[in-house]
Amino acid sequence: MEVDQLQRSFLEYSRLLFHEGFLDGQFSQLQLLQDESNPDFVFEVVSLFFEDSERLLNDLTIALDQQNVDFKKIDAHVHQLKGSSSSIGAQRVKNVCIAFRNFCDEQNVEGCLRCLQQVKQEYLLVKTKLEAQLRLEQQIVAAGGAIPMLNEFC
Amino acid sequence: MACTSGGKSDVAPVPEQFPVGLRVLVVDDDVICLRVLEQMLRKCMYKVTSCSQATVALNLLRERKGCFDIVLSDVHMPDMDGFKLLELVGLEMDLPVIMMSADGRTNLVMRGIRHGACDYLIKPIRDEELKNIWQHVVRKKWNEIKEHDHSGSMEDHDRQKRVIDDAEYASCVNEGADEVLKMQKKRRDSKDEDDTELENDDPAATKKPRVVWSVELHQQFVSAVNQLGIDKAVPKRILELMNVPGLTRENVASHLQKFRLYLKRLSGVAQQQGCLPSTYCGPVEQNLKLASLGRFDIQALAASGQLPPQTLAALHAELLSRPPGKLVLPALDQRTLLHASLQGSKCIPADQDVAYGQPLIKCSSNIAKQTSQPVMSNEDVLSEFAAWSAKSLGDMVPACNFGSVVERNSNMLISFIQQQQQQQQKQPVIPEPSRSINVQPSCLVVPSQSSPNFQAGNSPVSVNQNCSFRNLALDYNNPSLQSNNSSGAGQNMEVECKPVRMHSEFGTAGSVLSASSCSKDIQDSACQRVPSSLSTISVVMQVPNINDMQSSHSGKPDLVQVSTRNPVYVGKGPSIPSRFAVDEHELPMSSISQMKLYAENNGNKVKQEPNDLTENVRVGIPVRQTFPQMI
Repeated sequence: MEVDQLQRSFLEYSRLLFHEGFLDGQFSQLQLLQDESNPDFVFEVVSLFFEDSERLLNDLTIALDQQNVDFKKIDAHVHQLKGSSSSIGAQRVKNVCIAFRNFCDEQNVEGCLRCLQQVKQEYLLVKTKLEAQLRLEQQIVAAGGAIPMLNEFC
Repeated sequence: MACTSGGKSDVAPVPEQFPVGLRVLVVDDDVICLRVLEQMLRKCMYKVTSCSQATVALNLLRERKGCFDIVLSDVHMPDMDGFKLLELVGLEMDLPVIMMSADGRTNLVMRGIRHGACDYLIKPIRDEELKNIWQHVVRKKWNEIKEHDHSGSMEDHDRQKRVIDDAEYASCVNEGADEVLKMQKKRRDSKDEDDTELENDDPAATKKPRVVWSVELHQQFVSAVNQLGIDKAVPKRILELMNVPGLTRENVASHLQKFRLYLKRLSGVAQQQGCLPSTYCGPVEQNLKLASLGRFDIQALAASGQLPPQTLAALHAELLSRPPGKLVLPALDQRTLLHASLQGSKCIPADQDVAYGQPLIKCSSNIAKQTSQPVMSNEDVLSEFAAWSAKSLGDMVPACNFGSVVERNSNMLISFIQQQQQQQQKQPVIPEPSRSINVQPSCLVVPSQSSPNFQAGNSPVSVNQNCSFRNLALDYNNPSLQSNNSSGAGQNMEVECKPVRMHSEFGTAGSVLSASSCSKDIQDSACQRVPSSLSTISVVMQVPNINDMQSSHSGKPDLVQVSTRNPVYVGKGPSIPSRFAVDEHELPMSSISQMKLYAENNGNKVKQEPNDLTENVRVGIPVRQTFPQMI
């Protein structure tokens, strides 16, 4: 594929992600932070996000599975997930976290379980999409092109 | 590769403007946030250190005192509450702290403010927000300067600020050293012209009703507190006892608060410095048996946290209240404590120097021949030194000998203090410490030795205030210092052990003294590894404070260097001194100038001359010089 084409695909795909709320302005910031001295910054941060989120989701599942649900602990996990998702711009994940925390405050196990389900879904979605986007980026680079900036989308 | 405009090569050449190079410590248990923040801060041209654990961050701050300008911390962390970290940092290091959280609820923000955060950022944090964090550093420094402005004219004050600004700007650049030097020169010149007395305390005479807690004033304060009893000392009564015209109850109240905090912190900090005591436990124990070394023991013990705060406080009170012949030990500790408290965690008053200095003088005749160590230890401010010196002394000098010397010196110290209190003026003796020492082990010597210390101690306020500035200055100065430091001692910023931390914390002239004194005997390459630059800077900073009364002294390059080296010394114990001594003459003048600059900038009190800086150093050097002569 030609670089132009790849770049256009990339841009179009990204635009969609922003439009659908999977990503927000924070993600564009990440891209801006990438530079020659940190050429894989976005990839690095996104990978960290994947690792961290999976761990948190796992912990959340276990915590909510307990006889006596420790809401403080759950709140702490959700808070962290909220923080990391907002740091990379995973907007939909973040939004679910907000709702999740409200249920925690209310000590509503049902509500929490629903939110957990939802946040897992959103996480998987954004993960898939980010991975697809990364692949496009790699293709562009492989074809000798530069990755277009996404700041116009935020 | 991204089309970003990033790329280091694209970045414009290092701007000469502050806040480039601002040293930021970021603490966040969320690795993603941490990474993102780190990158954002780097983009702002700041020097970033990131930490995912609060406890590690705290240790880092303690070990590298003066290495950071500002701290960014998350609120929710597993190992320590962010607010707790905030409090500790404010108390111990007096650095501006910015809290961060994804949780922006008002009550949390309010808590942050109550705990002393200078700002509260809600995640996700935008890079624009980070670009501005330098304002907190500057604001804090300026406020400190304003608050403890020397009793000079507004002009002086402005000049100080200008110098600080100049220094900040200049130091940002790698070639800053020269500029700093120039600026310092300019500053010094203009200062000389309308030099006002480093007035210890005469608020009434100043244009602004500001109180400068000079050595004498502080002594009066401490003796008043002592009279009333630390637990019963209330500002009103203290004020009455002090009977200083122009001093208000509020002045006393805030000073008392700081003093209490200091005592509290000292005992608390001492307990945390686990590694510190371990090295010195042995010597300390040995010394315990020696009555004469009691002073050192106490200090060492204090450092090792074995002494309860009450003891420390009592000791401190003792110092100023006891008549000669009574406990010398307590006095020393107290003074140290007192001054240290005044100066914040950043420096230990030169008091220790004084205390040590006296015995040193006395000892010199007895011990000088043997080694310089004993002498040095005497002058050392920190308990570490004390321990070290105690050890050295134990090794080299018969206990009884030393003991008697110490006692004599202690008594002299006490008399001296009392003398000082009555004099209310710059100590005449200060001028020629070396001379005094050479002449005889009389009280004269002691006072000269001690006066700087007192002074150091007395400028707690200024010291405190300057601390943050100091840190900032340090930071910016580091590159220059390092580049100027031919011996390379200053290059190593690594803090090897807690002692270093302490030293930087208490890096007063005392360390200078110790450094100088230890020079001969300890040849330990380890010294080289001590973060001299760091400690140097802190020492440098401190020096000015102590110098209030020493402005008349012309600093000697050696002295300056000595002070520079102190940090090294501090961290490494015995080995440092030797290194210190060796390098003493190798320090480039620029370092000295820089130090002077800092001294000046530092000064609420150090407006006058670079002498101030050297004053402190002087304390150490005279002794040092004396020894060779005596030996």
